[in-house]
Amino acid sequence: MDTTNQNAVYYDPQRDVSVPGPTQSVTNSEPHVVQSANSYVPCLTSVQHDYNAAQHPNYYYNYRQAENDSSVQVVVQSPGAAYQPLASFQNSGSYVCPASNTYYNAGTHQMAPGYATSSYYYYHQNNALADGSSVNNHAQSYQSYTPDIAQSSNSLPTSSVHYQQHYNQWPYYYDQSAQTLGGLAVAGSTTSITKAAVVGSDYVHPSDQPPPPGTTSWKTDFGNSASPTAQAPGIQGYQNQYAPKATVAPVFQNQYVNNTAGISTFQNQYASSEYRHSSANCNQLPLSIQADQQNTCHLHGSSSNVSSANHVSENSRAPGQDSVTSNIHMVNKLHIQTNPQIAPGLPIGTPKVDKSNLEADSSSKPAYVCVSMPKNDLKAVAVQGGSEAVMQVTGSFPVSLRTYVERSLARCKDDAQRTAIRRMLKEIITKVTADGTLHTKNWDIEPLFTLPEISTGTNMTGSGNDSSPFSFPSSRRSPSRRTKSRWEPVPEEKVANNVEFPKQSAKSNICSSLEPTKRTSNSWHLSKFAPSCQSPLSQFSQRSTKKQRTGGGASLTENGNVSSDSVKEQDLTKYYVSSITIANSPEENKRREHRSMRFERRQGSSSKSGSSLQDEDATANIYTRRALSLLLNRSNGDGAGCGLAVEDLDWDTLTIKGTCQEIEKEYLRLTKAPNPAEVRPEHVLEKALHMVETSKKNYLYKCDQLKSIRQDLVVQRIQNELTVKVYETHARLAIQSGDVPEYNQCQSQLKRLYRGGIKGCNIEFSAYNLLCVMLHYISKRDLLSSMASLPKEAKKDATVKHALEVRSAVSSGNYVLFFKLYKAAPNLNSCLMDLYVERMRFEAIKCMSKAYRPTVPVRYAAHVLGFVGIDEVREANGADGLEECKKWLRAHGAVLSVDNNGELQIDTKVSSTSLHMPEPENAVSHGDTSLAVNDFLSRAS
Amino acid sequence: MAAYLSMGEAHRRIGDYLSRVVNAISSSDGAALASLISVSSAPGSTPLSDALAAFPDFPRLAGDRFPHLADLLVPLLRSIHSHSLQRFSDAYSSFEKAASAFLQEFRNWETPWAMEAMHTVALEIRLLAEKADRELATTGKNPDKLQAAGSFLMKVFGALAVKGPKRIGALYVTCQLFKIYFRLGTVNLCRSVIRSIETARNFDFEDFPVKDKVTYMYYTGRLEVFNENFLVADQKLTYALMHCNPQSESNLRRILKFLIPVKLSIGVLPKRTLLERYNLLEYADVVTSLKRGDLRLLRQALDRHEDQFLKSGVYLVLEKLELQVYQRLVKKIHIIQRQKEPAKAHQIKLDVVVKALKWLEIDMDVDEVECIMACLIYKNLIKGYFAHKSKVLVLSKQDPFPKLNGKPV
Repeated sequence: MDTTNQNAVYYDPQRDVSVPGPTQSVTNSEPHVVQSANSYVPCLTSVQHDYNAAQHPNYYYNYRQAENDSSVQVVVQSPGAAYQPLASFQNSGSYVCPASNTYYNAGTHQMAPGYATSSYYYYHQNNALADGSSVNNHAQSYQSYTPDIAQSSNSLPTSSVHYQQHYNQWPYYYDQSAQTLGGLAVAGSTTSITKAAVVGSDYVHPSDQPPPPGTTSWKTDFGNSASPTAQAPGIQGYQNQYAPKATVAPVFQNQYVNNTAGISTFQNQYASSEYRHSSANCNQLPLSIQADQQNTCHLHGSSSNVSSANHVSENSRAPGQDSVTSNIHMVNKLHIQTNPQIAPGLPIGTPKVDKSNLEADSSSKPAYVCVSMPKNDLKAVAVQGGSEAVMQVTGSFPVSLRTYVERSLARCKDDAQRTAIRRMLKEIITKVTADGTLHTKNWDIEPLFTLPEISTGTNMTGSGNDSSPFSFPSSRRSPSRRTKSRWEPVPEEKVANNVEFPKQSAKSNICSSLEPTKRTSNSWHLSKFAPSCQSPLSQFSQRSTKKQRTGGGASLTENGNVSSDSVKEQDLTKYYVSSITIANSPEENKRREHRSMRFERRQGSSSKSGSSLQDEDATANIYTRRALSLLLNRSNGDGAGCGLAVEDLDWDTLTIKGTCQEIEKEYLRLTKAPNPAEVRPEHVLEKALHMVETSKKNYLYKCDQLKSIRQDLVVQRIQNELTVKVYETHARLAIQSGDVPEYNQCQSQLKRLYRGGIKGCNIEFSAYNLLCVMLHYISKRDLLSSMASLPKEAKKDATVKHALEVRSAVSSGNYVLFFKLYKAAPNLNSCLMDLYVERMRFEAIKCMSKAYRPTVPVRYAAHVLGFVGIDEVREANGADGLEECKKWLRAHGAVLSVDNNGELQIDTKVSSTSLHMPEPENAVSHGDTSLAVNDFLSRAS
Repeated sequence: MAAYLSMGEAHRRIGDYLSRVVNAISSSDGAALASLISVSSAPGSTPLSDALAAFPDFPRLAGDRFPHLADLLVPLLRSIHSHSLQRFSDAYSSFEKAASAFLQEFRNWETPWAMEAMHTVALEIRLLAEKADRELATTGKNPDKLQAAGSFLMKVFGALAVKGPKRIGALYVTCQLFKIYFRLGTVNLCRSVIRSIETARNFDFEDFPVKDKVTYMYYTGRLEVFNENFLVADQKLTYALMHCNPQSESNLRRILKFLIPVKLSIGVLPKRTLLERYNLLEYADVVTSLKRGDLRLLRQALDRHEDQFLKSGVYLVLEKLELQVYQRLVKKIHIIQRQKEPAKAHQIKLDVVVKALKWLEIDMDVDEVECIMACLIYKNLIKGYFAHKSKVLVLSKQDPFPKLNGKPV
């Protein structure tokens, strides 16, 4: 064991796996404890022990809670072996002990005004303050449950909905657990210094007792036992010890940690719960016990997580949520990191945990950063909402979903968005779960939904916590995004940082290496956290009692309110879900999955869209999304300091997914947002391309089809080999038909796609590009740049070589060489050269008539000007070519004469003055025959 | 980060800097202001940047002290700070904000006292944009800062290219724009600026500062090279060469790099000493091939320096020298033939030319050589005619190989 690590208490929200303390526990406890206050401070402490690794990172969440009722829920998770390797683990280690110790001591001793203030600060929104002046009330609800997998799985199915019902029943557990807990707590506190082994055993005991309902029940028990200061002598003892512990902190913490290790999750409801790890304690603890604990923990880690998630939701209901959320947040974070690895191996039951964690995580993100901030409350609420949602959903969640959720949330720019997204996520997950497509759906490719723009300041100001959990100030931004200056730590905190930092760095090497970017934030949190931790100690005890008292009622009502909200949500989702889930047969599921795949995005964007498939809806959504993103973009751009350019616009949200199954589709230039029902998905487009390739119809038809394919690709933002293939096909067809504008369009797209690294016939097309640039004489500079950009290997390619030779022939006016190359052109080079032939011939004849005297045979001219094939094969056509040449020469004003031998000659001297470019035969008044209506229609048919 | 810097000291340094900037503005000291706002030239760690690092609340300090100039000072400090941290993209973004604020102020100042500072801004924004783009490119992001700098400088140009005393500074900004456009490869954007400079009736081009004129002529000369407008290119580049500071060898070399091909294409060959002096030996073989009529040497030289010539944009110009090399070759044949059989000196059989090319290991069939001869006649490099029936090139008795004499082919 690494003592340093043990000593270090890491308060890293991100890394910590903290299980949010459930408010429920408070409520549960109420019956027992008359004193319950409304506010509870949830403390989520995730302690991860890696004994093997010699790293003993502990997570500490000190949450000093709301003044009214501070119930601190500390969920300590000792991650299993699997967890240990994870970054989260390390984080805990990084937490700097010294700082925490110092703070801790200060806090414990003082309980001081400072704390009170801080608590106010956090909870000012809560009424609690008045009550809050509490001395040392240690309301500790320890909920330790050793989650057995079975239990956890059981608990999982029992959704949050059931929770409340169970609530009442819990008291029963409660008593038992309370006693045991109390005993444990005392033992732990006392033993911590002396015997770690004892502690361990105690803990084990609780683990045995976990109530079937799941974590919640446990928590409640704990809360009951802990919350009343008066109740258990053991508890009191504990409290007493607590102060001393502050000084001794490490030891005390160790106990907790150990406990946690044994008990996968335990929630403490005491305002200030600080868990510190003392290395000494760790050492003292019997390894075997630890190992056992770890094992159990590992196994059940997932389950514990779930429980934590539940708690979180509960917390949200509670008024004191604010701090809790932050904890939760941290917890969630940890879970996220750890879960991925665990999840795959876990049975279905466990995956769910991941999900919940994720949800919590996502929701908690904002909160976590803000830990010390007053605004956290709001965030906490958000978290709760998210977690609640998660909770309600039953089932297991795949890892990909987790990443999906992470992705969605990562895009959020502020809390408001996050909450909105969270809600969407919740809905989606609910739906998908109901749908049965949860595991079948490919979350990796699932489009993210738009970031909603939420009007700011709805509930921002104040007591939003109490009233509705779902109101979040949009103005608040996630702390992580904030510039530091904004949240510049107070001098005090700064000091704390300084103190803590060195150690942290020393101890948290792993952590830092894993998440270097987060480190600063961590330290920051630490500093802030420490004070907050202290306060809880002092205020806890007093508040807890009051809290529970009022809390009984208040929290219940609160829960009620929250639930009503959530119930509404549920109802909505249920409604939609029900509409979708009529049958559960596999076929149905499959079909549904298919459908939901198609419309998932849409649903995400608007929570109400549900299963309605109407196009109007879809388009409307797209519009709103687009508008929103534009708006977002603009607002962001205006935002001081952080100018978000267009590239920051999240086009993903604007992308649609086609549903049209028709292979053939006429091109129509879009004048409005694309309608998914009229857009073909990729696999249909593939068929369409094949159809075009094999079609016998004329170019106009193919061009039209290809343009519509291109359009569908564009609106769906598909850029892959298929896209390249489509453009290449179209470009070739255009070359063959001499449709230069269309070719240019394709070429410019191809250039971009090739540059993006998508494979295709890029060498062939660089040759075409070269020819096109040169032959159409766009500018020397373009020619130079396209020559300069030719890669070395391209220059060895026959097509490119040919193109380069053609270029040099043109530039030197070597018409003989040009027409030689023309005859021998590979690929479609000859088609492009076709476009230049007329000009080259005219140049040549001008040159010839000036250079040759007195005559040039037409036969020779026909030969060098490419009318007649050079090779023998073409000899058969010689006569035709000669005729054609004669016609061409005459048309261009050459004067022909027959010499003595009957050979037709060009009289060069006369011709040199009479040569001219003929009026194009097919010229029409508007300049282009292809625009002649009748002709066009006849060709198109 | 440098040694620990006390808060007070940092505060003092920042305050000192700010007051110097504000004083320079209030006393209309353009030179002082220019030296204060040059961000990119500063080394990584200066007293000011250390102070900014030690005192992260500097934006508020600047805003509080000089609220009327906060728009300028705050982003300026941010830019300096970011630049010292090697965060060039951020530094650019901040600097552009500061530059916009400065431009706003500049518009309101009657006199062009701040021209020097304005020029510094124009230079800085380009340099910072280049650094930022390099940074963005290495991180895989879209390097678009130089483009943004270009559009900002167009705004500056708009503010300067007006009637009045400020116009004198317009050419400098034009040159900065040229540099950006040439680097971005969007030289067609130069046209509007050039038009605005060259069509102005109320301001004589000669009144611009010499250094700007030289730069301007250099870039417009290069543009003319792209357009294969050799006479104009020659004129502009020659102007640049003549007025360029003779001490500045690198600039002279740059000008010569384009002037030499232009001169070659109008038949003026440089002395080897010139090529050696300015280290332009990549042209040596080209010149030799022109003298000898050695087509193979020309092709080899082009091949050897292809990348370089393509990059600088003279490849096509040099390639066009081929016809001159042919001319030289035919001339040599003519001279030899005149010595051998003076009677038939003016009749050069095609076979002879083909044979000569064979010696040069250039594989061309009779038709192609005939075509080349026709082209030489057509392009006035040879006076005479070609008799197809007898496959003989008949040269004019008078001046069969006219010199270009400053005219392009």
